[in-house]
Amino acid sequence: MPLHRAGLFAARAVLLAAVAVAGAADKPTEKISPDQLAFFEKKIRPVLVTKCYQCHSAEAEKVKGGLLLDTREGIRMGGATGHAVEPRDLKGSLLIAAIRGEKKDQLMPPKEKLPPEVIADFEKWVLMGAPDPRDGKRTMVSSQQSAEAKWAFQPVKPVAVPQPKDSQWSASDVDRFVLKKLEEKQLKPVGDADPATLLRRLYFDLIGLPPTPEQVQTFVKDCGVPSPHSAFRTPHSALEKVVDQLLASSHFGERWGRHWLDVARYAESTGKERNFAYPEAWRYRDYVIASFNADKPYDRFLREQVAGDLLPAKDAAQRNELLIATGFLALGPKGLNERSRDQFIMDTVDEQIDVTTRAALGLTVSCARCHDHKFDPIPQRDYYAVAGIFKSTETHFGVGGGEKGKNRQPSTHVPLVKTYSPAPVATTPATSVAAESPVAKKLTPEMEAKLKKFAEKNSKAALRLKSMNETEKVAAYERFFGTGDAASAKPARPAKKAAKYPETPAAPKTLGEPNGQLAMAVLDGKPADCPIYIRGELEEKGPVIPRGFATVVGATGPAKIAPGQSGRLELADWLTAPENPLTARVMANRVWQHLFGEGIVSTPDNFGATGERPTHPELLDFLANRLVANGWSVKQLIREVVLSRTYRLSSATDAKSFAADPENNFLWRSNQRRLDAEAIRDGILAASGQLDLKAPVGSPMSTLGDTDLSRGARSVLKADARHRSVYLPIIRDMLPEALDLFDFAEPSLVVAAREVTTVPSQALYMLNSQFVYENAVAMAKRFQGTSADPKERIQAAYLTALSRPATAAEVARAEGYLKTHAAERGGSPETALTTFCQALFASAEFRYIK
Amino acid sequence: MNTNRPFDCRQLQPLALTRRDMLKSVSAGFGYLAFAGLSAQAAPTYQSPSLPKAPHFPARAKRVIFLAMQGGPSHLDTFDYKPKLTADAGKAGDKGRLVAPVAVFKQRGQSGLWISDAFPQVAQHADELCLLRGMHTDIPNHPQAFVQLHTGSARFVRPSLGAWTLYGLGTENQNLPGYMTIAAPIALGGAQNYGSAFLPASYQGTRMDAPPSTGPVVRKSNKTDTGTNQGIGNIRNTHLSADAQRAQLDLVQSMNRDLLATAGANPEVEGIIESYELAFRMQTEAPKVLDLSKESAATLNAYGIGQGSTDNFGKQCLMARRLAEAGVRFIEVCHQGWDHHSGLKGRIASSCAAVDQPIAALLADLKQRDLLKDTLVIWGGEFGRTPGNGSADGRGHNAKGYSMWLAGGGVKPGLSYGATDDHGGKAVEDKTHVHDLHAIVLHLLGLDHEKLTYRYAGRDFRLTDVYGQVPKAILA
Repeated sequence: MPLHRAGLFAARAVLLAAVAVAGAADKPTEKISPDQLAFFEKKIRPVLVTKCYQCHSAEAEKVKGGLLLDTREGIRMGGATGHAVEPRDLKGSLLIAAIRGEKKDQLMPPKEKLPPEVIADFEKWVLMGAPDPRDGKRTMVSSQQSAEAKWAFQPVKPVAVPQPKDSQWSASDVDRFVLKKLEEKQLKPVGDADPATLLRRLYFDLIGLPPTPEQVQTFVKDCGVPSPHSAFRTPHSALEKVVDQLLASSHFGERWGRHWLDVARYAESTGKERNFAYPEAWRYRDYVIASFNADKPYDRFLREQVAGDLLPAKDAAQRNELLIATGFLALGPKGLNERSRDQFIMDTVDEQIDVTTRAALGLTVSCARCHDHKFDPIPQRDYYAVAGIFKSTETHFGVGGGEKGKNRQPSTHVPLVKTYSPAPVATTPATSVAAESPVAKKLTPEMEAKLKKFAEKNSKAALRLKSMNETEKVAAYERFFGTGDAASAKPARPAKKAAKYPETPAAPKTLGEPNGQLAMAVLDGKPADCPIYIRGELEEKGPVIPRGFATVVGATGPAKIAPGQSGRLELADWLTAPENPLTARVMANRVWQHLFGEGIVSTPDNFGATGERPTHPELLDFLANRLVANGWSVKQLIREVVLSRTYRLSSATDAKSFAADPENNFLWRSNQRRLDAEAIRDGILAASGQLDLKAPVGSPMSTLGDTDLSRGARSVLKADARHRSVYLPIIRDMLPEALDLFDFAEPSLVVAAREVTTVPSQALYMLNSQFVYENAVAMAKRFQGTSADPKERIQAAYLTALSRPATAAEVARAEGYLKTHAAERGGSPETALTTFCQALFASAEFRYIK
Repeated sequence: MNTNRPFDCRQLQPLALTRRDMLKSVSAGFGYLAFAGLSAQAAPTYQSPSLPKAPHFPARAKRVIFLAMQGGPSHLDTFDYKPKLTADAGKAGDKGRLVAPVAVFKQRGQSGLWISDAFPQVAQHADELCLLRGMHTDIPNHPQAFVQLHTGSARFVRPSLGAWTLYGLGTENQNLPGYMTIAAPIALGGAQNYGSAFLPASYQGTRMDAPPSTGPVVRKSNKTDTGTNQGIGNIRNTHLSADAQRAQLDLVQSMNRDLLATAGANPEVEGIIESYELAFRMQTEAPKVLDLSKESAATLNAYGIGQGSTDNFGKQCLMARRLAEAGVRFIEVCHQGWDHHSGLKGRIASSCAAVDQPIAALLADLKQRDLLKDTLVIWGGEFGRTPGNGSADGRGHNAKGYSMWLAGGGVKPGLSYGATDDHGGKAVEDKTHVHDLHAIVLHLLGLDHEKLTYRYAGRDFRLTDVYGQVPKAILA
């Protein structure tokens, strides 16, 4: 597969202060004769400057309609409604229609018709080819939005490690960046966390589980007593040992994979108005977990998810893995009740653009569906360049037409294989769009004619009719004219049903022998470029845009896409090209965010102009460079960060530092963070000894067929699951309570950072829920018979639940409670211990990392 | 141990805030920069996200009761008087033969509003109603339209009207959820209709099942642990006496205070302490508020409770009044089954009969308690019905024109605003889109729908997207 990387990226500079537009950028100058130049300067430019620039130039206070007339590129490209000037085409030039006042309310300049001779000049100018010497780039982003706002689009440059004054404090280069900043701000880092606190932090951060009492004791012992000769509370060797163990643990992927699943808006149902199950979605979940466990290079990981089906595979197992990876594109929310196939496809495309660009690039390209991006230099053209790629892709989300056709947009799964026989280079697109599936009933020419006639009187119907496939047309015909019409053979009743309720299309062909398993995946469909849909409306088509990528991130010109393919492979290449300024930064920032609670850029899915600026821009670039240099190894990056002194800091406060930096932007201490929902639930199960650490096979969802999930799904949720929370079934709009209450990521949206809320329903859950109660009973049982001394039981419980020994005062308090509960309130020692264990779960400390 | 010792926040160490806490605890209009200069001593402590917040301008309504009629109730047989439809019945219309209204319209009250006999008791409150007869929405499909009615968007997952309301105003009673929805459909978008989407989860609605069919009491057992977050989950402790639970909670709270007292604690711990106290009070308060057994027989009768078809919705309406009275900000109740494609005459009669008396009782009750003046009552469904349907005995979905009504909460009473065409097929005059309805509701609550924004994915989102007009004519 040829990469054409040189072509993807402008060699000169990736940062384009302005937007390079595909096509226009290819021909920098146009030949203009001196006469034409004179005509433009005399007749055209003065009018544009005096009558139009006020609202339609880069200098305008507010650019109207996304239209910029101050460059050739801008005037040719036009704004939200289409081309302003199409050389030699008066009809295609909206500017002419506007100054003529052809449409009511659309006269330009508003309320001021230009003199007829001026209009004639413009017509003449368009007919002569609209010669225009104004070479500059169309600049959407106003000049006030300085380069600073576009920091993220600048290439990641090598960064020199700074030399802070204190040469002793740092344990790594990461620290030198942090300390340098602290010194600049005249802040002093607090001391190191004690070993038990640090260990709990490490365990939850790396594997999402608490350390066992034995693990705490071993680590504390390894750390020894603080040495007066070393400022470090934790010896490097002890720390390194634990970090490497945790990174090698299979639970690492369950933790870090879940972070990615938030971004990938992973769920096992369609959500929205008809909520159907995705019975095979779990394969993607397991793929993500396995990828993080295997430390799959992050660039490879992205490429597989965007274009796995187009990558070569060495055997059937890898082929299956690659297909499953593309589930990333398939498992978004779907509006199955949508009547229009075209609308459904464009909504799917939009969702795919959104998840891909926000996950990989930290950019919201989907804003440009209806207009040029208001804040970031992403013109609508770029959106439709990318849209063409996804529109040339078939999404197999595997929800059939079941349950009386409540699903109007049925789909199939992609079969997995037991043997793999790669197709010849130009793969034939898989067959299976709904339109091509056998229709139950034929549309006769008579029927067609009758429908057409009907449509002539009804413009809305005409529009709808255009987007209908044969099945839908038959259904429409029957709706309006009944089924008993002589135009077709007497329709059998089932045929009518089939027409009204779309049939599930045939599954696509596999490259090899099917193994009986199915996956959600995407495959290439019929490659075609996509037109601009003006204001996102399907009825209003603009020019067709060659498939390509976002120009702002350095792509120039249409992508060089292998013939017969969608362009996803090239998109994947472009996303992960080393020159892409965003991909590595965004991932490095995510790693930092999950280890410190807040990213260096605190808006992890928005690196655009409206996002936050990085607090440590050099450090971010340093980390991004390290990520790439280490072969995109996420584990290596995590290792480097957690072995830093900065990560080891305690969360103690300091009045002076607090006064200067109350938000702890500059990391003079560690932030106390709340555990996320999964860690809270897993922590309870771990403490009670009930946790089943084995990964389950599949998902309870895989038993659900094609039905709208209503009460039926509750039994799935009720299932007594003792597995880790990452394996709980994730049904959109029906989340497991333990996750929903503690700010789980809304699975219909791309979530880069979860909210942290504190509400009474969480307290009620801890005090009254069956789950917490049962686990308290189980935990109490663990300690009931262990020791005759209640003090020891209390100690054991503290160590188990909070990963630290209890203080003398805490032991005394707990003893008092146990006695009073048992004696005064008529409880037994067993129930006393149970309620005590429950209190530990309920305590704030249980759900915090110090 | 003193079990009810108030927690004294003055004893606390200076608290730190993370960046996100800071943004979260800052109410609208008070910029984050203002905080940056504050010293440690003056640093703000935890604020519950549900505390009452000042509106943008003086509010006319303090709370909302939304009577959702799922299925698309016919405006043509209830609130939109179309004599021409009667006259032209049987003639061909846009979508098949025109069907005459199945109920007789009369002018009502001082205002002379035309309301049909299908709603005889609601009609007696005509002078309180503000009819919106020019309603329209985008998609004539139940799921999309129902979701759009609740969130403004059928295409994207967006926060619900109630969630936006809580985000803007908080709630008055901290012992109850601020947004409660009763008998919300599981399908048709399900939790999306009362969800918070990208808004913090604390603004999502709390769903309660429909009241059981017999007996006035709502819920006796703690059947809430279904694994999903349905109802006021976990409202009862089935293992401990109140005393024993208080003792357990005291232990938890003393541990929490220890944590808060350690230097560098997250100020959210204070929120956790508070949330436990709220939860404890909620355990007593919520069942009390929802327990209808203390209502007089006269009241129960007035709402039609225990009287056959009005029983269920009567209970919902009475619960709504009790919740409103208790300071819940946004309450929704739901009656399904308005999708009358066939059997129009009989089904209009039975659907209307099931809700007419309860709604009339609710209006009378609110008025008598002087609550109607600052409670906005909204009645309506996801769309209306077509004048003709190809069948003599039913009506199709109509997104182009239908009626809803508002009462109380600062709307002009006894008013008819907007109009459909002669046959009631399409809104033609003073059209009110669902976006406009949302703008109106927020306006009456003292919120500017263009200013109530939330930043998500780099953009400021609002309930009304780029739409929404508040017609001045309907404001009292």
